[in-house]
Amino acid sequence: MNLAIRDVRYHRFKFFSSTIGVSLLIMVVVAIGGIIRGVILDSATIIDETGADLWVVQAHGAHPQGGTLGPFVEISRLPQQIYHAIEVMPGVAQASPLATAWEHVKVMPRPTRLMKFMYMNALLNTAAMVEPGWMAMPKLQRFIVIGYQLGKIGGPPLIVAGRGIQASHYEMVADVKTGFHVGQHLRLGNFDYTVVGLTKNMVGFTADPVVYTTLTDAQNILFQQDPNLLRSQRPRIAQPFTDLAATQPRLARRLAVTAAASAEDTRSVNAIAVKLRPGVSAKKVADRITRWQHLQVYTAPQAVNLQLMGSNRLILFQLALFRDILVLIAGVVISLILYTFTLDKLREIALLKLLGARGRVIYRMVLQEALFMGIVGTLLGSALELLIEPYFPRRVVATYGDIAQMLLAMTVVTLFASVLAVRRAMRVDPRAVIGME
Amino acid sequence: MERRAYAIQAEHLVKVYGQGRTRVEVLKGVNLAMRGGELWALMGPSGSGKTTLLTILGLVTEPTQGRLCIDGEDIYGGKRPDLARLRREKTGFVFQSPNLIPFLTAQENVLLPLSLIGARRQAARARVMQLLESLEVAERADLYPNQLSGGEKQRIAIARALANSPKLIMADEPTASLDAGRALGVMHLLRQAARKHDTAVLVVTHDHRLLGEVDHVTRIMDGRIVDVPDAPPTPDHRRLATASAGRPGGRPARS
Repeated sequence: MNLAIRDVRYHRFKFFSSTIGVSLLIMVVVAIGGIIRGVILDSATIIDETGADLWVVQAHGAHPQGGTLGPFVEISRLPQQIYHAIEVMPGVAQASPLATAWEHVKVMPRPTRLMKFMYMNALLNTAAMVEPGWMAMPKLQRFIVIGYQLGKIGGPPLIVAGRGIQASHYEMVADVKTGFHVGQHLRLGNFDYTVVGLTKNMVGFTADPVVYTTLTDAQNILFQQDPNLLRSQRPRIAQPFTDLAATQPRLARRLAVTAAASAEDTRSVNAIAVKLRPGVSAKKVADRITRWQHLQVYTAPQAVNLQLMGSNRLILFQLALFRDILVLIAGVVISLILYTFTLDKLREIALLKLLGARGRVIYRMVLQEALFMGIVGTLLGSALELLIEPYFPRRVVATYGDIAQMLLAMTVVTLFASVLAVRRAMRVDPRAVIGME
Repeated sequence: MERRAYAIQAEHLVKVYGQGRTRVEVLKGVNLAMRGGELWALMGPSGSGKTTLLTILGLVTEPTQGRLCIDGEDIYGGKRPDLARLRREKTGFVFQSPNLIPFLTAQENVLLPLSLIGARRQAARARVMQLLESLEVAERADLYPNQLSGGEKQRIAIARALANSPKLIMADEPTASLDAGRALGVMHLLRQAARKHDTAVLVVTHDHRLLGEVDHVTRIMDGRIVDVPDAPPTPDHRRLATASAGRPGGRPARS
């Protein structure tokens, strides 16, 4: 006869209400695991989806590590034409110049009820820190602009609405998380652009969505300066040639124009994504690029790692620590619940002992209830987490592997958690039933 | 005397609690012998050692000295006994309050002792239903204790005590919380059970009105068994009474 099942069946409300409490804790634990995985995936998305084997960025002779951490973690700037030299190297299938940077547009917020509630809550608790009228202020929609050459790697991997970029100017494909829609016009830099298509799941390690344009458009958006500024700068650029103008005015004018053109040149890129031919050693090609072109090269895993460890390292450690603490808290909570359950059953346990029940009958009952609570709590908590996952503002990805791991961890935790209850149960004196102890 | 003839036989049982200045001798050489099928009443004032004797005979407490044989087995004669096993196999308990396990149905409560001794499910269920029928509570088998009346609960408790066919049933004031009619009914059930299952039943009681149902009355006073001159005669009392103060299964308490 299984006493644990019968006890749970009889005290089902008490047991399941406690299990729901445990499952909510576990839901948070699984969610934090999902957030950690989400951050990792976000860090790897652009690198993975680009499909490049090598990422070539600006080298830096004085840098102790010999190069920048670009293009997404540190500023990197290269002359655009250098990709030609890389593309003709042995083993290279394709070299694609990319211009990348963070941009933003102002959008009017459409506050949800949750946002209103959070705003009111913030106002109550941190009134001094909340700007009056915050809800009605335009929101800054940040995104990463990636400019690529049409037909080369680095463009949107998937189009979920509209079409891909076809024209060489003024078209863009945005990730759905930007909130942009097909046909929407946006002013970026000095020009208007039209959203011609939408892509999905393309975000950077900061979870900012990606907007794709042609390389030239991206260069214009990112590097082209304000025309008024340029106009005001031209006399200053021409200043060194004023002496020359007296004797050789044509030469001086030509030099001034050349200098101004150089200052206004937007033909820079932030990185070159390199696709290798099958079977070619990435390390060999990377060494060759470093040696002959004086550039910094990262393999795709190194580039992912840079984003992950360069910017999100502390957040990930913090989240992981918080998750582990929560697992311990879940263990303590289960332990106290089981202990309380056991205290409620002391008379029955004494009676079982008086009837000659072996010790293992008693501790099997406590252990089975503990395991039942741990397993049901984990499954319920995981199911709840999967249900709420889509509503998180950032990507949260809990896998079945995470849930299986959690199940294993909670089995161990509940086994330890039941020790206190088992010890109390084993101390019960059967004479308590007769009123003697 | 042949020991096998007795369901339980206690010789010079002594129980001491504490040491030195806190030493208390609760039992001072108790002798007692009961045959299967006998129903005995154990009476005595508060603090006389009734419950201690009950727990020693019920194999819950070990005596400090003395010899205890149940169904011919000398419990403390050899190596350290497995009291839990002996309780499972040889004893049954009925208490003042029925002490049913609240999360088990009536049927499961009775099944519990059989489950603890590892009885086969089919046979155990048949035995349980037979007991419940004999105690006229078979139709309440699937109810939980909180759905049963006081009398039904006590019947279920008796059925549970009988389930593992024990040699000895200890009943600690099983009628204390019942009115006279119900108390007599319970004693009658215990008496029937003792007869039918050839089980020795020792009932601790203070209620003199119930003594007509018992085969023998034994009184404990200050840790010793004493004669009971005022015990009411019953038809087979003379034949069965074997309690003594001085020797196991010795002189009849009443003649």
